[in-house]
Amino acid sequence: MSELFETFLNPAVMGESAGLLLRGLVVTVELSLLVVPAGLALGACVAVAQALAPPWLERVVSLGVDLVRAFPPLVLLVLVVHGLPFAGIELPALVGVAVALTLNTASYYGEILRAGIAGVSAGQWEAARSSGLGTTSILRFVILPQGVRKVLPDLVGNTLEAVKLTALASVVALPDLLRMARIAQGVHFNPSPLILAAALYLALLWPLARFVRRLGASKAAPDFARSRR
Amino acid sequence: MTDRIAPGPVLEFEGVGKSFGGIRALHGVDLAVREGELVALIGPSGSGKSTLLRCANRLAEPDVGTVRFEGREAPRGGAALARVRRRMGMVFQAFNLYPHLTALENVALAPRRAAGRSARGARRTAVEALERVGLGDRLDARPDQLSGGQQQRVAIARALALSPRILLLDEPTSALDPELVGSVLGVIRSLADDGVAMLIATHELAFAREAADRIVFLDEGRMVEAGPPEEILERPRTERLRTFLKRL
Repeated sequence: MSELFETFLNPAVMGESAGLLLRGLVVTVELSLLVVPAGLALGACVAVAQALAPPWLERVVSLGVDLVRAFPPLVLLVLVVHGLPFAGIELPALVGVAVALTLNTASYYGEILRAGIAGVSAGQWEAARSSGLGTTSILRFVILPQGVRKVLPDLVGNTLEAVKLTALASVVALPDLLRMARIAQGVHFNPSPLILAAALYLALLWPLARFVRRLGASKAAPDFARSRR
Repeated sequence: MTDRIAPGPVLEFEGVGKSFGGIRALHGVDLAVREGELVALIGPSGSGKSTLLRCANRLAEPDVGTVRFEGREAPRGGAALARVRRRMGMVFQAFNLYPHLTALENVALAPRRAAGRSARGARRTAVEALERVGLGDRLDARPDQLSGGQQQRVAIARALALSPRILLLDEPTSALDPELVGSVLGVIRSLADDGVAMLIATHELAFAREAADRIVFLDEGRMVEAGPPEEILERPRTERLRTFLKRL
């Protein structure tokens, strides 16, 4: 038992590697703060394009989305980070990773938002059009507020996935949380830093996961769900 | 609505036809609505009443014919069409209120974002419009907190808030419980008394008889008869209209 403890929950190792891991956590958070807003913005553009664009453009956008989604995110990441320099495009590692992960996560945000927009009834468009509102105003004040509300649990869920996906950055040697944990593990010949990293991921994502759960419950049966808890 | 820009009809259809997937919904309809006039469209379901209304503000684009607003052909798209739509209020059978906004916000949205009024000006306009339909005390209610009749009155206020030259009403009471119909028709009648031009598709013949200046009977996308209410309802000239009136 104590051997198990020494191996996985070694306090000395954890204490010594904590600084390293916290620096990794900062990179993970930075990456998430780049990827999530950029992915949401790009996804929203994709969804709006699919809702409004002429058929040919809509087909081009859908094709792009399907292509990105068919790529395993790791392959996309390696392609962008190691492939672009061959095309003469040199990006800082953090930016390269952010670009690849943004492409990936935007394709999911886009599909979720597309479903949300499609779920708003045609009568809402007609009412807004008949009052002389322009397309931008209709989207901003009538369609998107309703569409986003319909798919909010899915949006938050995808955000959770997007943050977890940043762990892929460790593969291309970006010093994120997972990468730092692996380094600390190597230095100490002890896997305790990995457990600490897991705890840090959990601290980061647990509130978000609970939030999704609450959203899902209140959406399914608002009063019932609350009174039964 | 004070100075007459163009003499003649506010809204005019000339030879307007429209097909949906090979089915002719409208066959060359000619109709004019003059200033201050209330024209009621009657006819069986699928007779083209809604389609005609929707051609007026180009929610449906006519295949043939001309729609004129204030004497000029209504523009086909872009900002010019949006400007014309602002001056034609529309009320739908299913209300189509914005469910995430309060009554006040529903009414103030277009004055603020389409007509570009100030936030305060749009709010004042919206309050006035809601007071006019008897809902001055429900400004902050959301649609799901209102009865069907109240929701439809908010929708009428929304259409009124831009001071339209004409209101287009598509079966405004068909989705309402019978006991709520009266309040909505009452509001429409008071607008008619104020001289708001209206084109209204309706199944309420008693209302049409009493409030309309003219009744137009549509059947299978054609204008079959048109005239003053007593003529249409009491002395129908065609077999189709007689059959329709008997069935109600």
